[in-house]
Amino acid sequence: MSEPPLRAGITGLAAVSALGRGAQTQLAGALAGAAAFGPVRRFDVGGRRTTIAATLPDASTLADELTGVIDEACTGLTRAQRAETPLLLGIHGHPEAGRSETATTAGFARDLAARAGLAGVARIYTCACVSGSTAVADAAAAIRAGRSGRVVVAAGYLVEPDQFALFDAGRALAKDGVARPFSTGRSGLLLGDAVSAVVLEPFATREVLAEVAGWGRAGDAHHVVKPDPEGRGLARAIGDALVRGGIEPGAVGYVNANASGADGDAAEAVALRKALGTARVPVSSTKSVHGHGLEGSGLLELVMTVLAVAAGKLPATAGHLGADPACDLDLILDAPRKATGPYALSVNAAFGGADTAVLVKAS
Amino acid sequence: MNELATATVRDAAPLPGFVMSSFSPLVAAAADECLTARHGSPPAAGEVGERTAIVLVSATGDAAMATHVAHAVDDGARIGPLLFFQAVPNSVAGHVAARWGLRGPVVCLCPTGDPKADGLAHARLLIDDGDADEVLVVLVEQAGAEYAQAVLVS
Repeated sequence: MSEPPLRAGITGLAAVSALGRGAQTQLAGALAGAAAFGPVRRFDVGGRRTTIAATLPDASTLADELTGVIDEACTGLTRAQRAETPLLLGIHGHPEAGRSETATTAGFARDLAARAGLAGVARIYTCACVSGSTAVADAAAAIRAGRSGRVVVAAGYLVEPDQFALFDAGRALAKDGVARPFSTGRSGLLLGDAVSAVVLEPFATREVLAEVAGWGRAGDAHHVVKPDPEGRGLARAIGDALVRGGIEPGAVGYVNANASGADGDAAEAVALRKALGTARVPVSSTKSVHGHGLEGSGLLELVMTVLAVAAGKLPATAGHLGADPACDLDLILDAPRKATGPYALSVNAAFGGADTAVLVKAS
Repeated sequence: MNELATATVRDAAPLPGFVMSSFSPLVAAAADECLTARHGSPPAAGEVGERTAIVLVSATGDAAMATHVAHAVDDGARIGPLLFFQAVPNSVAGHVAARWGLRGPVVCLCPTGDPKADGLAHARLLIDDGDADEVLVVLVEQAGAEYAQAVLVS
């Protein structure tokens, strides 16, 4: 008889965003529905069309913030245990890239792992908005296959002038200064700080906050930056996550959507309907309160998802003006909703048509 | 792992939609040459394309563009809207995927060791996990003698 597959559990997590510091602060902010957007004071936004983002006023450097969340997520691990735990990191690149010829992304990651007392860097993901979620999928796959023990996945982005300028130049930022995922009248996304870390390890090692029960990764093969309007890649990623999790769509109790307030929200709605069929699963997007954290977004939203189903409280989508027929979903609006089951999906999509879905099961 | 096709390019023609940097043209040229050796002309045949992933490996990402944007921001100069569309390495990976009909995962990595070994290791992970049957690994660097190398593996 073959051994049953190992199960991958999240045993620690931590996050920082404009909602504040600490994991539970993230959930409290999302449940309160108070969006954390405001005028950008971190750098000069003169001449930009949009001057709003979700930034933590006392944020330190990205290296400091990543070190902090890794440290918090690793609470309960001994120094020796940390020293044998590798890091998977999701990041845009070295924060000084473009301004320093000696700043390397690999060096940044190595320094980070050393500061956090980890074994070293196993992999660095630079795949935009699916960086953290792809890392979690890969980590869970390796654990389930028995090829990996405990790992730390961290991902981070702090709103900075270069990406802000690019998104502004591309007219991707919300003209009215409000992120309105899935809403009529939405006019774009808003950037936000997102720095998170999770510890994944095989079950039976330590107390598990949630199981990474399934995952899926797929591609649209449609466009350089636009999502497939038929949602085929994202639907396939969601379907793969459900198959790996061994559940039917009706068992999913919540989806933390990728939706940012951009045109592409409609494509995600198509994908969710395609993948979940007749199951009317409650959907919201926590980007509506913490903004789009780019390389940090997938992991922050996974942390939010785990905390929400663990608490049994599903956050609403802020900024909603009215129904968009193209986004016909069971949207959680106006107030949090009570969770009806332990399973939830965190869904992400990125430039290049990269799609991920991570299925978690609250303990 | 089986190496199905490989190609290395050291210069590339401009790629429509991508400006001011050789990064994306190099990736697209190496991928095209490699995939042409495997499939002839685009797109890749149905089921094979459906289950082909792209893993793009670069230590610096698009260094030329990052430098240009940093200088423009620091100098208060205008930033062209086209640059937004190539802000991340995913973009050109998406171009390759769309051109060839590759619907497997799209992953971009910064190597922690030997770039080819890192890319192939991740290809192995995706294949073993069942999300792809074939993986196009593209290594690209602009520092020094710039190049892109594409390897298609199963």
